[in-house]
This record gives sequence, C-alpha cells and structure tokens, in this order.
Amino acid sequence: MFSLVRRIFRPSLAPPPALIANNDASRLLRQDIPLAEAVFTVIDTELTGLSPRRDEIVAIGAVRIHGLSIAAETSFHTLIRPKAGIPKGSTLIHRITPSAVEDAPPLEEVLPSFFEFLHGTFIVGHHIGLDMQFLRRACRRAYHLEPCNPCLDTLRLAMIWREERMASPYDRYDLRISYHLADLAEELGLPTFPAHDALADALQTAYLFVYLANKLATPQTPLAELFSLGRSWRWYL
Amino acid sequence: MRASDLKSPLAAFLRQTMPFSDLPEEAILALARQATVDFFPQGTRLLSRGKSEVTHLFVIQKGAIKLFVEENGTQHLMDIRSEGASIGAVCLFHGTRATMDAETLEDTFVVAIPRQAFLDAVVRYPTLAQYHLKALAQGNLDRAFEAMRHRPMVGSTEATLPLFSQTLADLVHRPPATVAFGTTIQAAAREMLRQGTGSLLFREPSGAVCGIITDTDLRKALALGIDAQAPAETIMSTPVRTLPATATCFDALMTMMAENIHHLAVERDGKTIGVVSSHDLLVVQGRSPLALFQDIAAQTTFEGLYPVHSRIPAVVRTLIHEGAKAGHITRLIAILNDHIVIRLLELLSAEIGPSPVPYVWILMGSEGRREQTFSTDQDNALVAADISEDFVARAGEVYFEALTSRMEEHLLRCGIPRCPARMMASNPAWRGSLSEWKARVDRWREAPEPTEVLNSSVFFDFRPVFGRIRLGVELRDHITTGCTGQTVFLRHLAAEALRARPPLTFFKNFVVEKDGAHKNALDLKTRGLLPFLDFARVMALHFGIPETSTLGRLDALLAGGHLSRDLHSEAREAFEFLLHLRLVRQLEQIEAGQPPHNYIAPDTLTALEKRTLREAFGVVSALHEVLRDTFSLRI
Repeated sequence: MFSLVRRIFRPSLAPPPALIANNDASRLLRQDIPLAEAVFTVIDTELTGLSPRRDEIVAIGAVRIHGLSIAAETSFHTLIRPKAGIPKGSTLIHRITPSAVEDAPPLEEVLPSFFEFLHGTFIVGHHIGLDMQFLRRACRRAYHLEPCNPCLDTLRLAMIWREERMASPYDRYDLRISYHLADLAEELGLPTFPAHDALADALQTAYLFVYLANKLATPQTPLAELFSLGRSWRWYL
Repeated sequence: MRASDLKSPLAAFLRQTMPFSDLPEEAILALARQATVDFFPQGTRLLSRGKSEVTHLFVIQKGAIKLFVEENGTQHLMDIRSEGASIGAVCLFHGTRATMDAETLEDTFVVAIPRQAFLDAVVRYPTLAQYHLKALAQGNLDRAFEAMRHRPMVGSTEATLPLFSQTLADLVHRPPATVAFGTTIQAAAREMLRQGTGSLLFREPSGAVCGIITDTDLRKALALGIDAQAPAETIMSTPVRTLPATATCFDALMTMMAENIHHLAVERDGKTIGVVSSHDLLVVQGRSPLALFQDIAAQTTFEGLYPVHSRIPAVVRTLIHEGAKAGHITRLIAILNDHIVIRLLELLSAEIGPSPVPYVWILMGSEGRREQTFSTDQDNALVAADISEDFVARAGEVYFEALTSRMEEHLLRCGIPRCPARMMASNPAWRGSLSEWKARVDRWREAPEPTEVLNSSVFFDFRPVFGRIRLGVELRDHITTGCTGQTVFLRHLAAEALRARPPLTFFKNFVVEKDGAHKNALDLKTRGLLPFLDFARVMALHFGIPETSTLGRLDALLAGGHLSRDLHSEAREAFEFLLHLRLVRQLEQIEAGQPPHNYIAPDTLTALEKRTLREAFGVVSALHEVLRDTFSLRI
C-alpha cells in the first residue's frame, strides 16, 4: 500500500533539456517528406525481462539512417546498471552479466545523452512497441514526461512484405514462419550481426528497415505512406 | 566479431575486404567513419555509361552488381561483381564519368565510401591504387566465366600426356597372332577372323618373325585375283618394322607416319610380344567414344567388360573439353551403358542358354531417362511375355532368377552399385509378365499411397533396351493411354513434385542438407534436378507423352502447346545447366579419385555458376506454378 503511494507521489526530477528539445523537434516532424530526406534513428534495447512494470533496460543501442543510407558509424551504445540486478534468465539471452554493468551508469544518467542522440528523429525498431514501453515508463517515472517521437515497426513492415509475396493465401497459417530478427535477416539475405547485443541488433534492424523500405516503397515515397503501412495489421485482407 | 567491431561495423567489414585489409588500422577507421551503407533493390541502375558522375566507391557487402556496356540496344556483359568487390574505383582515379553501365543483379547492400575519402586514402596508401589497376587488367580473366562450361579440370594436361608417357608395352594386351610359314591366304584370313585381329605375323620355323599381313594385304590379294590357296608369303610385307617395348607411343606414331604403315611389332629382349596398330594409338590419344564402342562390342568375356565402364569418364572429359553439352554427353553415357548391358546379356545368354520365355530388359530412373552421370545405380526390371502354358512360365521364372542374379553381380563388377531400394530385376517384385506389369501399374494408379507414388515415379521413366522390345512398347502404350485423365493419381504425383522446393535464392535462403556429412553443401540432385524431372514426368503422363528423357518431354510439352515458349526454353537451359554442373563436378571427383556424389559446396562455385544456379531455381518456381494450375493444387 505504501509502496503504491510512494510510487504515485514519487518526487520527479526536472526533465533534462535534451528530452524537451527532442519532444519539441518531434512535434515539428513532417510526414509528407519523401523517405530519401527523412532521418531515422534505429534503436534496440536489452532488457532484464519482458514486463515493463517489473523489468528494466540494461543496454541501449542506436544507429542513424539518413535518407535510407545507414550511417553505421553514427551510433550510440551504452550499458545500464539496473536497480534490481539482472536475472540469470536474461543474462543467458543477452550475455550481459551483473559484473559487466557494475560500473555502468544508471538509466537516469544515460537518458539525457540518449535523447541528445535521438534529437527529434523518427524512431525505427523491431517490435519497437516493447522498447518504447520501457523507455516511456522509465521517462515517466523519472521526469513525468514521455518522449513523443513517431515510431515505425520493422516487424510489421516485414509481415506486410511477407504477405505480399505469399503464393497462396493459406501460407499465412504456416507455423514455420518466424519474424525473429535474426531469422528474417537470414531469410532475406541481409548481412548478419550477432544477435542480442543492443548495438548489433540496432544495426541489424537498420539493414532490415532499409531493405523493407526499398521493397515496400521507393525513396520518393512520402513518409506518411510507410507509416500507414506499418501502423496496423491489415486484418481485412 | 571483436567487441571493437561492434563499435565500428564498417571498419570490421573493410578489415576483411581486399585491398583495405592491408591498410593500417587508423586508415580503416578513417574510411569507415565517412562511409555509409546503402541498399539497392534488384535491378536498380547504379551507373550509366558516360552520364553518371561517380561520387562514391561502392564496396559490395551483400549481393551482386552487373557491369555491362549497352550498345544499339544490346547489352554486352562485362563483369559480375559480388561480395567484397567494388565498383567505381577506376573512374574515381581518372575523374571521369562512369565508363560502364552498372545494375544490381540482386538486392545489394553496398558500403559507400565518398570520393574524397577514398582519394585521400589512395594518396597516402598507393597499394590501394595498385590493387584496383591490377584488377582492371584481370578483368579479362573474369570474362572467362563464360568458359566455365568447358573449364578444363584436374588432369586436363595429363589428358594429352599418354602419348608421351605410355610405352608400347602398356599398349600390348595380348601375344601376337602368329602362324607358321607356308599358311595359305585363306587359312590366314580365317585365323585373323578367329582371333579378331587386323594383322597376322609369320614365324619362320626358327621362331623368328619374318613378315606380317594385314587387312590391306588381303584386300590387295583379292583385288589382284590371287588364288586363296596360294601361300600367304606371296602377299606379306617384310621385313616387319619393330620397336622396343620401352619406346613411347609417340615414337610409334612418328615411325608409322614416316613409313606410312599401320602396324608395328613390339619387341622385348629380342622376342616379339605383340603388335600395335595405329588404331591402338588413336585410342590412347583420342579417348574417342567410338573406340570405346568398338571395345565394348569386341569383348568376348565378362572380365573384358568389367573395366570398360570405368573408362567412360575419360571419354566424357574429352567431350567436355570439346564443348559438348550435358544433354549430348548424358545420351552418350546412356548409349555406352546400354551397350555394356546388352553385351552382358548377350554373353549371359551364351553362358546359360537362351530364355524359354521372350522377355525385355528395361532400365528405369536416370538410365531410363538417358540422363545418367557417373553416380548411377542399377535400376532395372524385366518384363516377360505372357505365356499360356504354366510349365513354360515356371521355367521362365527359374531362368530369370538365374539370369538376373548373375546380371546383378556382373553389373556390380562393372562398377555399377546395387540399387539401395532394391529396384532391380533380381528382386522378384520387379519382374513379371506383361499382364502382371499392367495390373501392377493399374494398382499403383488406383491406390496412390506414398510408396506407390515413389515406386511409380522411378518406374515411369522406363525404357526397354534388350530382348523383345515390343513388350516394352506395349507396356508404355498401356501407361500413356491409361494415365491421361487419371487426375487423382496424377494429382498425387504433382503434389509430391511440389514438395521438392529448391532454395529460394542462392546466397540467401541457402538450404543446406543437414545429414551431417555434407554440411554447407547443396544437394544438386534432390534440390536442383529433381523438381525438373518430376515436373516433366507428371506433365508427360498427364498429356500422354511417351517420351522418357526430361529434355524430350519438355520439347513434347512445347509441341503440344502445354508449355509457353519462354518457359520451355528457360526450363531447358536451366535443366541442362544443372545437369552439366553435376556432370563436370562428378568428373572432377572421379579424377581426384573420390567416389562421385551430388553435393556441391557453395564456396567452390564461381560467381557465374552461382548466379545461373539461382536463376535455375527461379525457373522451378515458375514450373511449380504451371503444375498448380494444371492440377488445380492451389489449396
């Protein structure tokens, strides 16, 4: 009970200027520009678990895309020391050990520089909803202010792309289909990077995004079209 | 990947890529910092000759780019570059516009290094320039991709060597045919016939060879009207030209050409050990298929036939060298193998007597399709005539039991292994009278279960080779008339055919057979050839085409209007390419002393082979579409 009260009335920090600047810039983003002129930031996080309420972020990786070409060296990567330690199960997945994050900064120290990197760009990620839930929640708890960058999900784009190429409408019930990032990269023949490292996954997602954006649209396509594609599952097909 | 590689993935890529791999670390990092990754879908025009400014050096990270020159509407392919290669370097050096057209052949990721960054690096590290300028000169070599089809393999240089390395002793297989002095012309001719030789030596009573008569001499005698009872010395040539056994074949050839003769006696320690004819030399040198044919026909013993099969690769090597395509070669192999089978059966019937019941020996599977390469096994069956008398039929059964078990053994000794599924005439399930066979076929057709489908698919490629051919023809008629319209059965066959999916593309969805021994290898037979075979077979059955070879079936489908002209030519070319690739690979394996198999490691393929394979796989998808349409298998 007290914990609930404490949680509601948690004293919040002042939002960092970078987050405010990021949000201001995000509001000015235009979706009618062609893809070739848009700037994206591909992000990926490693987590201690899958529940945004209980679990925390242990690593953030991000890569910039300018006009559908990947600026692979313009990247952001950091480990984060979670408050509650790292459960073994998640260490087995991302190979980040508790001792590896011993000297890492806590999330609050990382967020300002992360938003500085983000700098009001479009966010792209694989199953980005999950990463954003964690980020939003972290920001809400810390600053009572959430980032408001528009997001694109490569997983949805991949589903649409796959559906467009299905030979038979029944193929969609094929249980062997995987939308796992590594499986998709393998299947589409993308250069591959080791899985479950935040930066490598972000880079992998960047390759996937550039591939799918070129396949589903052209560099001249307005951004809004890609958004309308990636926004909802086309259940009516 | 090292931890630092993740920080700088492009540096990691450049570090593994020639010529950047030779640069010091700081130069790589500097280039990587300025580089970006670009993606171009398949078919994107990257550069147009004389028009495009080259602003970046493109290093291909994944995919392939085609360089060509377009003239008067026709494209001249110059090069295909794939992973690790780059385009644009030379234009950047010279500051010219693009000198060739460039287009992506597949979805391609490139690492784009900006012009200035690259030129700065070139100024500091001249090795970069050297590499690219050298690669330019080697461009000619790349064009030799086209020559892959006739690529000489291991042993190609040795192929011409036997003439110089083999001694006459190697050529002499049997003691010379000799007769005593004083034999009549007729007796000499009879002796030559009996011994199956083209020359005959005459010995003096002392044992010394004093003369030779050959076919030519006999012809002369006949032309001049010399009496057949005259002594043969009147027409013999003397003295006999003799070479020591240690002389090379080349010496023999030179002697024959210089003296315009065709036979030489071979001498060792003062004794004549044999005769070498110009034909023997031809066989050594030419490895001609004709020589092999004659050799098969001339064999009078089983032992003589055993080694013949192993000589086929050498003949095939010659043909490939001369540019023959797989379609021709496999037909030739089929004929050679047919002859071996026929000769064996002839010898067997001489050994155990003629069959009480007329029968036909049929070949199934690849032999039936005339598409054998080297890794074949015994797929054969026997169809006997219908006999009303019970005891004759039973005698026939006993005879066939003896015949087929001996045949299996002889084929094995020839180097043709047993069929693992025991689809051989020695298995009673694959023997039967014509009416039994017809009933069997009908049963397969009516109860299409997996084993039935598998049985029938190999069986339906059968071809009669020896015996009462008419029986085979009749069975074939029964099948062609009986199967058209049997859509349930054919739909089963078609569904089975659809299950054999080739890899989607080659770099990409590369499917590896995971049975341990051949990891990272493509099974060319089941993943490549089988879909074509299955397609042609089921379509041929559906439309009542009696042809058994895949190419023949495709042609018949085109002639019948069941296949579009484009798809037909694509399928033909793709199939022939796959067959050729398999043939050349197996030949390599044989020449390297390994047993031939169907697996190909992708890294041993040239860029052109990979690309053509990918295209061939694409054709299969198109063929599968046709199957789905024809048999309404869209569910």
